[in-house]
Amino acid sequence: MSTNPINIDNTSTLANAQLAGRFAARHTPNSWSGLAALVAISLLTLSAFYGLINFSGQGADWQLLSEPYYQSILLFSIKQALLSTLLSLLLAWPVARALYYGRQPFASSFLNLCLLSFVMPTLVLITGLVALLGRDGLLTPLLGNDWNLYGLNGILIAHTCLNMPFAIRVLLQALQHIPDSSWVLAAQLKLTPWQRLRIVELPALKAAFLQLSGFIFVLCFNSFAVVLALGGGPRATTLEVAIYQALKYDFNIPEALTLAWSQLLIAGLLFALIGRAGGSRWLSVDTLRRQFTPKPGPLMRWLHHGLYGLCALALLLPMLALLDGLHQSDLSRFEPIALLQPTLTSLLLAGLAAGLAISLAWLILHPIRMARLQQWRSLPLLDWLATHALVAPAMVISVGLYILLLPRIDLDRYGMLMVLLLNAALVIPYAISQLRPRLLQYDAQYHALSQQLKLTRAQQRATLWPFIRPAFLSCFALMLLLALGDVAIIAIFGNDHWTTLPWLIYGYAGSYRIAEASLASLMLLLICALTVSLFERHRHRD
Amino acid sequence: MPDTPCALEVNQLVITRDNRPLHYQLHIHAGEIVAIQGRSGVGKSTLLSAIAGFVTPQQGEILWQGQLLLALPANQRPVAMLFQDHNLFEHLSVKTNLQLGFDGPAPMQALAEGCAALQVSELLHKTPAQLSGGQRQRVAIIRTLLRPEPLILLDEPFAELDPATRQQAVNWVGNTARATGKTLLLVTHQQDDVTQLADRALMLG
Repeated sequence: MSTNPINIDNTSTLANAQLAGRFAARHTPNSWSGLAALVAISLLTLSAFYGLINFSGQGADWQLLSEPYYQSILLFSIKQALLSTLLSLLLAWPVARALYYGRQPFASSFLNLCLLSFVMPTLVLITGLVALLGRDGLLTPLLGNDWNLYGLNGILIAHTCLNMPFAIRVLLQALQHIPDSSWVLAAQLKLTPWQRLRIVELPALKAAFLQLSGFIFVLCFNSFAVVLALGGGPRATTLEVAIYQALKYDFNIPEALTLAWSQLLIAGLLFALIGRAGGSRWLSVDTLRRQFTPKPGPLMRWLHHGLYGLCALALLLPMLALLDGLHQSDLSRFEPIALLQPTLTSLLLAGLAAGLAISLAWLILHPIRMARLQQWRSLPLLDWLATHALVAPAMVISVGLYILLLPRIDLDRYGMLMVLLLNAALVIPYAISQLRPRLLQYDAQYHALSQQLKLTRAQQRATLWPFIRPAFLSCFALMLLLALGDVAIIAIFGNDHWTTLPWLIYGYAGSYRIAEASLASLMLLLICALTVSLFERHRHRD
Repeated sequence: MPDTPCALEVNQLVITRDNRPLHYQLHIHAGEIVAIQGRSGVGKSTLLSAIAGFVTPQQGEILWQGQLLLALPANQRPVAMLFQDHNLFEHLSVKTNLQLGFDGPAPMQALAEGCAALQVSELLHKTPAQLSGGQRQRVAIIRTLLRPEPLILLDEPFAELDPATRQQAVNWVGNTARATGKTLLLVTHQQDDVTQLADRALMLG
């Protein structure tokens, strides 16, 4: 999973929301069903931990904290997450600037490519990177004898490829929110390029940088598939992978619990801090007019073109390398029909999980909107509970529930139901982040008016739907893409009758059938690209 | 001011606004204070924006001290302009906002005196969001007048002020502009501004 639930609330929107809250009277969004949904997803997490604790009859093994093994894993988790975050942001910023300050060719397609890159299933990227930079990779001869993709190198490259494109889009969006009046004022005050950077650009990007840093760090800190595939040994293992290993190889539940609590604590703390980092402080009215954006000089223009081109190439190469993988071995024995059933299974499961996730997110947002309008003190708690799945270790939740349910229900029969449920639960934070800003904006602008006009529930729905429809459809597409890439949950609950495309790729790669893995990856990539293309076309039309 | 040379020349300037051509022709002497008046929509603010470099005319020329201004981008023109709004960066303190727009270090002494004269000294550590409309406008007036540019353009500078502060601001602007020899164009709807501050008035439209 490589996308991040970032949104930058506009302070004026928040102020308006608070103002609107004063008018909140008889009709508030129905929050009971939302609270029930919130309790349900919290119970899911709690049950997983209960399952693990109850099974072993022991709590966490706190002795582990003083062992060098634990400390090296913790340090590596933090180190790779910090470096990945730094690299993603440092590379994304100049590219976002290049897109903002100058006209770049195929900018719209490039932004679609960015979207595709950060929602692309991790296994597809890994297959592409191995084909490109692995032992027999296309570019490996150029990198010298010491080059090794496996270890910190590969982890950083994969994390950067996944998160930098997302950072580009978020930073570009933040730059585009700089009001034209600020550039007019900067020109009028004859600010130097350095002053423009310090006084106009950096304050506009500050909130985005803070939130992006936090989210990319959390995602890389919790990274599973990338580290499992490209890491190696205790020197390149994260907490999430160590949890998996503790459970899979030793079935050492106290150790897994200690690691899980550590991960939950660190990621959760950071997540809470990000929440407090706040939104943008631009109070001027946003305008779509971009008449006075400073024009870069010739040297800077060339630099921008170069960086932009390099970035596009870096994003495209792992995808193009998949094509080469097809030539590396004999495909004559491969039957394309073998892809049909996993493709249909993936689409069905991801579609259902996306539908469930968006429905639950919609319900959960009811009490959050109400809390915002009426300035409840419990708002931060509700927010945290709604998005806690982002920091809860997916592996612990899957295994905990598996252990809890194994003696109680027939998992061979109902395992796929759990895959569906858990996939939905784990993408809920992303659905919430997509829908939340638009719903809060609606409340800020129209809640008081709706109250004043005494609209009925049906009328409220009729006014809300056209407003939220584009965000709703975009959200569905994103949830579909995220659920399509799952490997961790299907690895625990899946069975041979219900093979998904990522699981098939994992199987092919595990048995060194690189050509088949490349073909299946291309199919998955094609589905993702089509979804992204449909989603972007729809978004632009709206 | 017939004895002083003509500093600003606007010759046969044509600007299209809403598919309607606006024509301008005016000559301003160095050190002169000129009020520009006219009904709403006649193009008063558009003229100031064109001189400052934010609106591109279709025809004509603008000269300052004989130099063609239209060839220069906004940030190279010898102009300090006060807009009707958006004069302050919302995320910076009043003090920091006041120090912007100077080549070298800001003239702290003059700024402090301006703040004292217009009664905004107590507001220096606040952000613009914490100020009233009139306070924001006074802060912006101080900075605009004290910037080193020889040509000052003020677009309805006193619109947000109450009668008492308006009088103080009018006096301070007049005294400062004359003491520093600035050429000043101001758009105003108030006849009082013309009589108390301007050397003459131009009626557009």
